[in-house]
Amino acid sequence: MALNSESAGKLTHVMADFEIKDLRVSVEGREILKGVSLAVNKGEVHAVMGPNGSGKSTLSHTLMGHPNYKVVGGQVLFKGKDILTLPTEERAKLGMFLALQYPVVVPGITMSNFLRTAINAKRGFDGKDKSKAISVKEFRALLKNEMSVLRMDDSFLSRYVNEGFSGGEKKRAEILQMAVLKPEMAILDETDSGLDIDSIKFVSDAVNKMRGPELGVLIITHYTRVLKFIKPDYVHVLVNGEFVRSGGPELADWLEAKGYSEWVKEPAKAPAALEAK
Amino acid sequence: MAFTKAAVEELSALHGEPEWLRARRLAAFGVFEGMSLPDTRRNEDWKQVDLKALNLEAYAPFQQPNGAAPAGRLESVGATLYQRGTSPAVASIAADLSQRGVILMPLAAAASAYPELVQRYLFSAVKPERDKFAALHAALFSGGSFLYVPDGVTVEQPLVSQFWSAGPGAAVLPHSLIIAGKGSRFQYVDEFLSNNRDETSLASGSSEIFLEEGADVGYVALQHWSVKTWQFANQRFHLGRDARLQMVDVALGGHLARLRVEAMLEGPGSSANLKGLFFGTGEQAFDFRTLQDHVGPHTTSDLLFKGALRDQAKSVYVGVVRVEAAARGSSSNQANRNLLLSEKAKATSEPILEILNNDILRCSHGATVGPVDPEHLFYLESRGIPRPTAERMLVQGFLGEVLDRIPVAQVRDAVDQELAARID
Repeated sequence: MALNSESAGKLTHVMADFEIKDLRVSVEGREILKGVSLAVNKGEVHAVMGPNGSGKSTLSHTLMGHPNYKVVGGQVLFKGKDILTLPTEERAKLGMFLALQYPVVVPGITMSNFLRTAINAKRGFDGKDKSKAISVKEFRALLKNEMSVLRMDDSFLSRYVNEGFSGGEKKRAEILQMAVLKPEMAILDETDSGLDIDSIKFVSDAVNKMRGPELGVLIITHYTRVLKFIKPDYVHVLVNGEFVRSGGPELADWLEAKGYSEWVKEPAKAPAALEAK
Repeated sequence: MAFTKAAVEELSALHGEPEWLRARRLAAFGVFEGMSLPDTRRNEDWKQVDLKALNLEAYAPFQQPNGAAPAGRLESVGATLYQRGTSPAVASIAADLSQRGVILMPLAAAASAYPELVQRYLFSAVKPERDKFAALHAALFSGGSFLYVPDGVTVEQPLVSQFWSAGPGAAVLPHSLIIAGKGSRFQYVDEFLSNNRDETSLASGSSEIFLEEGADVGYVALQHWSVKTWQFANQRFHLGRDARLQMVDVALGGHLARLRVEAMLEGPGSSANLKGLFFGTGEQAFDFRTLQDHVGPHTTSDLLFKGALRDQAKSVYVGVVRVEAAARGSSSNQANRNLLLSEKAKATSEPILEILNNDILRCSHGATVGPVDPEHLFYLESRGIPRPTAERMLVQGFLGEVLDRIPVAQVRDAVDQELAARID
């Protein structure tokens, strides 16, 4: 199958809603991203696929401003700003969201407190003007709806953030946060890894429900499996810190068959053992 | 007036104490006089303690306070006892508790009213010979509380004692003697407070707690002395068969606040849950020495001491887990977690295991010292939570695990507010 590696870039070149331009990033002095460019419009779902060590996590963490990743060059434009100059919290307030591959356990802070504080921060509640804070009733109603889609029960809210959560529960909790914070640009970092098939379905249902003209999505994944549930509009292959190919959803099928063999010896299809989990 | 024999006699007369107690005080004073201050270089138990600036001569053994304890702060409690300095303690107890034989009264009064009990237990757990401060305490203890809960009695509402400092330059040496009868159940709180946040003072308190068979006791000590107080405190718990202890120690005050906590798990099947919470600012130094002594078989202990330090504050934690020869099938856990909120704050942590019986279920320990986890900060910030809010939430969350265990809402709220003020 012949693929035009230029197509996606050209299609979205004119002032996209979210634009990564020649981004170069180093970690501990080593350059991991060597000039990547990508344009995502609201309403689109892009998948970034790549083998281990290709720079996928570096991309997701850099976009959200993790302190361990040093930007050496390039820009990321969102809503008229170069977000690389903004602290993490400002990026979130601007409408960005990152679902982490490994959500951290935060003992002592309940999910309820965490979610409420995040919602209030987005609404500009600084602890003083109570009219800006979400009411208990509104908060309840908002969560009830989203939690039922994700098959999460009320007990989640009184538990500490991610403490004692199974792999699937952690990922569902990430998507719940996305659902209540309603971002305009969401990055899902390996959201499918470590998930049983039921959890993948619940998570995908929730993401598909959020899809629409107000949301751009970047799914970062090693394996093609999740893309059967969340259909991407574009697929990009990241190898050694560079995009080596871009195309439509058919590129994912091609990768499923061939793996990353053109570049490295790694399959893009999950091993049977992982599928069965 | 310095610490003299005459002062001991005067204090004993002031409290109208029986002759046997006066004799005990004088004997303890002899021990005090015969001891020097602990050698902080050679004595293992006192290593890392800085006593250079301590001058015992600078403190009056007791002083007439200029007013009573600021009482009446607590609601929904079963009984209270207030004492300021060496002034007579004032106790009040719900009528139904008295009818069921529960006693909460000033220790000085109990020495006359219940001599057989007090004589048997007083200073049997925390002995004067232990060190110069324990001897000073036994010779010149300011008073304190005596609590007795008879066999099989359950007290629903917490019992609270509050001890206030007498004033600047005075020693304050409160004592709590607690006897939990067989199968009794209650929660007790000791609060140690300074009238003035800036006053200089010397505090040496002792708490001796005896849990008889099957007793289920919650013990909370809230130490909120001024930041210029030298504190040398001891708590020792003796647990009988199947007794259950849930302890929470909160340390907020003190220039140097030293606390020794010893849980003697003597009765088979007894268990102790020991929690500590501290927050140091400025130049404060905390020193915690804990002992989980598994004497009897099938005993369980679980210790967690957590604290945050900012500015130049320091803490030392040394925790011993001892599993004695007869303690087969016992299980212990010990954890000390320190959050450093500034570059200059410092914490050290040292676990010591003395295992004399290898037939144990579990013996684990862990210690951490470090700043707020940057991954936690990133996570909260990635959800749009501003950094100062994120930091506050993380520190509160860190301490909340212990804070939530304080059984009296008013005490818990007061600690919560104080912590919030220190975080910001």
